[in-house]
Amino acid sequence: MGNSISKTLGRLFGSREMKILMLGLDNAGKTTILYKLKLNKIKTSTPTVGFNVETVKYKNVKFNMWDVGGQARLRPLWRHYFPATTALIFVIDSNDDDRLIEAKEELYSIISEKEMEDVVLLVWANKQDLKNAKKPQEISEFLELDRNLKNQQWCVIGSNALTGQGLVEGLSWISNNTNNK
Amino acid sequence: MSKDETTIKKMLVDHKIDGPLAAKGFGPKYSLRSPSVPNLHAKVYTEYNMSDPTVGNATGGQGTSINEEDGTLSVIDMYGDDDNDIDDIVSSRAINLGSGNDDGNDADDLRSSTQSENIFNTTSINNSIDKPNGTGTGKNVQQDAQHNDRYGFKKQNNSISESDYDRWWLDYSKYCIRRKHKWQLLLEKSGLPIVDDSPIRFPPKSEKLKRYVRKGIPAEWRGNAWWYFARGQEKLNKHKGLYDKLLVKVDKMTSQNKNDKTYPDLDIIERDLNRTFPDNIHFQKEVFQNGEPPMIKSLRRVLVSFSLYNPKIGYCQSMNFIAGLLLLFLDEERAFWMLVIITSRYLPGVHDINLEGVNIDQGVLMLCVKEYLPEIWTYIYPNHSDTTVDTESNRRTMSSVPHKTQSSMMKNNFLYKLPPITLCTASWFMSCFIGVLPIETTLRIWDCMFYEESHFLFKASLSILKLSEHDLLKHTKKRYHSSSRLPYSITGSNHNSSGDLLNNKMHQDENDMEIFQVIQTFPKKLLNPNDIFDKIIFKKKFSFNRLDQEEIDRCRKYVTTQRNKYKRYVELIGNDDKTSEESSATLVNKENLDKTQDADDIINGALSSEVYGFKRNLTGVHWNNSLKEKVRQMKKKIDGDE
Repeated sequence: MGNSISKTLGRLFGSREMKILMLGLDNAGKTTILYKLKLNKIKTSTPTVGFNVETVKYKNVKFNMWDVGGQARLRPLWRHYFPATTALIFVIDSNDDDRLIEAKEELYSIISEKEMEDVVLLVWANKQDLKNAKKPQEISEFLELDRNLKNQQWCVIGSNALTGQGLVEGLSWISNNTNNK
Repeated sequence: MSKDETTIKKMLVDHKIDGPLAAKGFGPKYSLRSPSVPNLHAKVYTEYNMSDPTVGNATGGQGTSINEEDGTLSVIDMYGDDDNDIDDIVSSRAINLGSGNDDGNDADDLRSSTQSENIFNTTSINNSIDKPNGTGTGKNVQQDAQHNDRYGFKKQNNSISESDYDRWWLDYSKYCIRRKHKWQLLLEKSGLPIVDDSPIRFPPKSEKLKRYVRKGIPAEWRGNAWWYFARGQEKLNKHKGLYDKLLVKVDKMTSQNKNDKTYPDLDIIERDLNRTFPDNIHFQKEVFQNGEPPMIKSLRRVLVSFSLYNPKIGYCQSMNFIAGLLLLFLDEERAFWMLVIITSRYLPGVHDINLEGVNIDQGVLMLCVKEYLPEIWTYIYPNHSDTTVDTESNRRTMSSVPHKTQSSMMKNNFLYKLPPITLCTASWFMSCFIGVLPIETTLRIWDCMFYEESHFLFKASLSILKLSEHDLLKHTKKRYHSSSRLPYSITGSNHNSSGDLLNNKMHQDENDMEIFQVIQTFPKKLLNPNDIFDKIIFKKKFSFNRLDQEEIDRCRKYVTTQRNKYKRYVELIGNDDKTSEESSATLVNKENLDKTQDADDIINGALSSEVYGFKRNLTGVHWNNSLKEKVRQMKKKIDGDE
């Protein structure tokens, strides 16, 4: 329903708007990605207390991107606010082997929530610039999304927030996969 | 900027300034130095003096400049400016050049008419200070000849350019010198010694001292002043030796296998250490330095000790910033105790695991906004917005009342279902404005917080909101024009079509987006602390300036009780807590909707008979005894229905 209306609006005004929620463990690179996209600048990494929200325009789509702070205990503050999300972006630090399992658990706990059942899921396997980083393919296999997500569209894309590699691809994937729904 | 100056700047940057911070008590080690030195830490400064002759010259030049200005200052003082009012005028002239905003505070205005001649004189003196600086900028460039401010933070960020900063600092540094001079005179008069440029004791509380604090404590004195006003020594004396004992435990823990998962806070702290003030030179690694900067080590010890000391809080992100900032001004042990004091006295419960403290303070803030900033209130909390769903029950109740009273019908449920803006303002409190406001402004609020207690945080928040009003409401007008249908004016059939719902939802989202954007970016531009103080805090016309600690404590108590009662009623009526919390924004499925709404209505109806009455509001209803009876009847009704 929501999509048909925004589609109509899109036809009328030649643009669409999307609410995108960007999650992930702390230190995965969410804020860096956001400001790379928004300002093409690298912001020094610092924990996000609360959230950052920015509008990123790509082609004729306006992405309202929410970058929500990492620490799990702060989640109840904002979680009730995000039901109308079009897409969920989950950012993973591909270089942090120790926390991959934690990231996976986190991801599944989020997408198993009722409000998330219709969203498209993009996973950014971030920090691809680091030499020990797991490749997107490996991350994808590790997450076992093909086995567990039956009705949801998903995609794993390698990214490097510092150079911007993979970011536009990700947004355009979201844009393409919410269009025809 | 001339070529030479650029070279100097570059040279200074190349010699990245860092060094062992006064991890143990930098206060006493202080040498006599004006706040206009580029760096707070005497030691750091000498280190690079020795290594670089050019910089040595720079310091020489600086020395003269300070004397010069201090000399001029004493001239200003000859004009009988013992109550520091003239200083306000001078300073506001100097700082708000051209902004025409020196109508200042009321008392000053009165005085200005009687002492106009003096003011004229002082202003002209002030101008004469300006001139040499304006033309021969060398001096100031040398003072600021680096990309970091006097605390070691990078001047530039997404909202402020370095040249903006330098332009502002040119005037503000003079203001700081003048203020410090005032403080020195005040302490002298009170017979309090200033040892090593850092007094340990301060005069007893008074209106005058409060005004001095509001105009800024000299940067080098901050550590000691905060410690004094927050009664830190008292706390430390009660727990002598405790910090050392905690450190022994910390050492054991941190030296053990790092993969020990029995203590999860440790991991989280570890990850945040290097992400605390990465823009600040004191938190950065030096190029040739092995191991981590001493500051990071101190930060680890303070945070881990704290999580051991207070397991109810443990470690909550944002405490790293508070502790980090404290460490820039105080030695480790005192920083630890100040963290204890801040998290218990000034921000009670805010960092607790259950987050209830944050929610309570946000409830209090919303109460205040509703009372004192009604225009902003109607914008951030439009009539229908108890839920983003335009509920049938709302319209049912609303249709019978005139539009104007609708907002008052909603009464209290914003206390349990906090408006979206609190997603932003919650972090103001959690991090105590660090990172929300530019550093000088943050520090000024801290000065006042330690002196005036926690109610000042609410005043500061209200001031920021007031200042952002223009930006906030600008969007409203745009929105009224762009949409023929207002999000909260839907009337019509009782059965809401989902189209309307979604339309509503979209408007609401758009509205929220605009609020968030403004609330997120606006405070970052408040480079000059005096903007908040001269434009808002010192102005009597803003009635929220009459808020005091007692009132805020009463508000906190009220919100706490209301929220507790709400939870109890929810349990009583059998409304699943989770559903109701989340229904504020969730399109719950239709069958549940009616039931949830009914229950919500009942709870809200019951609770909203107790509307908070601010002190001045004598007619305000405080507590209502018929409440219990009402709830009982409601409950009966529900039981009967089933």
